[in-house]
Amino acid sequence: MAYQRSLGWLKELRSAMVFSLYVLMILVWAFPVIWVILTSLKSRTEIFTLPPTIFFKPTLEHYIEALLAHDILQGIINSLLMACGTTLFTLIIAIPAGYAFSRVRFPFRDRLSFFALLAQMAPPIGLIIPCFLLLSRLRMLDTYGGLIAVHMTLTVPFSIWLMITYFQDLPPSLEEAATVDGVSPFNTFLKVVLPNVWGGVGVTAIFAFIESWNEFLYAVVLTGSKTKTAPVAIFGFLAAEESRWGPFTATGVMIMAPVIIVALVAQRHIVKGMTLGATKG
Amino acid sequence: MRPAYIRQQERFGFVMITPSMLFLFIMAAFPLVMLVVMSAFRIDLTYPAGNRWLGSGNYLQMVHDSRFWHAIKVTAIYTVSTVFLQVVIGLALAMAFFRSFQGQEILRVSVLLPMILAPVVVGLAFRTMIMTPQYGILDYISMVLGFGSKPWLVDPNWALLSVIIIHTWQWTPFAFLVFLASLHALPSDPLEAALMDARNAWQRFWHVLLPMIRPAVVIVVIFRTMIALRAFAAIFSATGGGPGTATEILNLYTYRESFNSLNLGYGAALGTALLVITVVISMIFFRLRQSKM
Repeated sequence: MAYQRSLGWLKELRSAMVFSLYVLMILVWAFPVIWVILTSLKSRTEIFTLPPTIFFKPTLEHYIEALLAHDILQGIINSLLMACGTTLFTLIIAIPAGYAFSRVRFPFRDRLSFFALLAQMAPPIGLIIPCFLLLSRLRMLDTYGGLIAVHMTLTVPFSIWLMITYFQDLPPSLEEAATVDGVSPFNTFLKVVLPNVWGGVGVTAIFAFIESWNEFLYAVVLTGSKTKTAPVAIFGFLAAEESRWGPFTATGVMIMAPVIIVALVAQRHIVKGMTLGATKG
Repeated sequence: MRPAYIRQQERFGFVMITPSMLFLFIMAAFPLVMLVVMSAFRIDLTYPAGNRWLGSGNYLQMVHDSRFWHAIKVTAIYTVSTVFLQVVIGLALAMAFFRSFQGQEILRVSVLLPMILAPVVVGLAFRTMIMTPQYGILDYISMVLGFGSKPWLVDPNWALLSVIIIHTWQWTPFAFLVFLASLHALPSDPLEAALMDARNAWQRFWHVLLPMIRPAVVIVVIFRTMIALRAFAAIFSATGGGPGTATEILNLYTYRESFNSLNLGYGAALGTALLVITVVISMIFFRLRQSKM
């Protein structure tokens, strides 16, 4: 009896500890993000009030200032164009490759897919030096095409690999009926197989978009006044005026917003896609 | 003669992969070859007239460059400590949660956030609102708890610790989620039986759980090491490699040499060194995975 009771007591202690750990984890990981959002809504004096306030009268002044006075609007438009372009062109070339690598037999298949994996390991700083020289020779510095092409070196390899895993999950018999009916392989891919993996295409698109939207190193080297992306703009802005936390956080929220919305809507798929390589490998 | 449909399949396969393979050859393989070639030249954009073939000149300079060796040291400390912390903390949290895990949704979104936010925003937020003396929230909490204000990003030793904290904060969720998924994927009956047999918590962990999820640990170590070797934006925006060169990992040194000093030849040599390090480490990992799994 006593033993049973003490076990129950231990169990309760254990669940209480797990619960406090749970709260602590949420605080540690979500709080900095929430803090950025709160700061962006505080007035200039409120930001530097000690102790920090949690309840205050929100204001949008920093958002207006960031958008109007600091070129941030242009940066966000540029980022949007770059990220959409990168996503679109990545999908166009990565989906067919993922399909061929997973469901079509041809010579050197494994070696070529391994090459796609290797391309993912190339250190970005090692790629950017020759790419900078190449693009400057081609007069493509500070162009949309230049940065999109370089961003695609990040997105194409992992998109191929994500798509391979989605195509592999389909039943092997999927193409058989169409092949017997004499439909061409490409039409089979387009009309029979592709409609079954739209979910996977969506997840791949999300990853490609986020990668390009957040990317900093390539953007800071390859863009100039015309095509500067939002991450570059926010960096330049804060480097100039260290203490302007208001407009900085407002810009930060605008950069984080699309990603946070995607995270809320598609969190299950993102977690799955992220841990896919690790849990399946 | 192979049947016509097999030849058609092969042709179709090649057509489907050609665009992406061509792209990766032009934009990834070719630039890497060019990087190695560039490292044999003097390419100084501030004085183009002096550009010439150097052979191994840049590498001789590198061997005697104390800043290069310092960058290697900082890279090693940064990579080993962030990967170690991520694995230990991630594993501990996954262990704590894997059986009684309620309110998954909120926690999953919370831990997902740091990983998908722009590293430059993360770095800048830590530099300003979180680690600024007195007004930064972390420094404020430290003062309230009685630890006093700390020179988070100002003192060289603290700065290295701070960028390690930032990276660990941003990426421990990855290890946590992978470990959680692999713990859930374990067959429950043998697991329960083995857990019953174990005498205490330490045995349960060391002799039952750890061997079962060792593949996941190996994979997390591989993934996170490769990513840590690519780290750039968060450190660049939090400290810029400073104070001085206290947080200057090899990536940052290469960047500063190439795009601040515009010394692309020597930068390319540093980039080649990084490429070699990456290749060697991934080959070691490749062997490790093949032998242990």
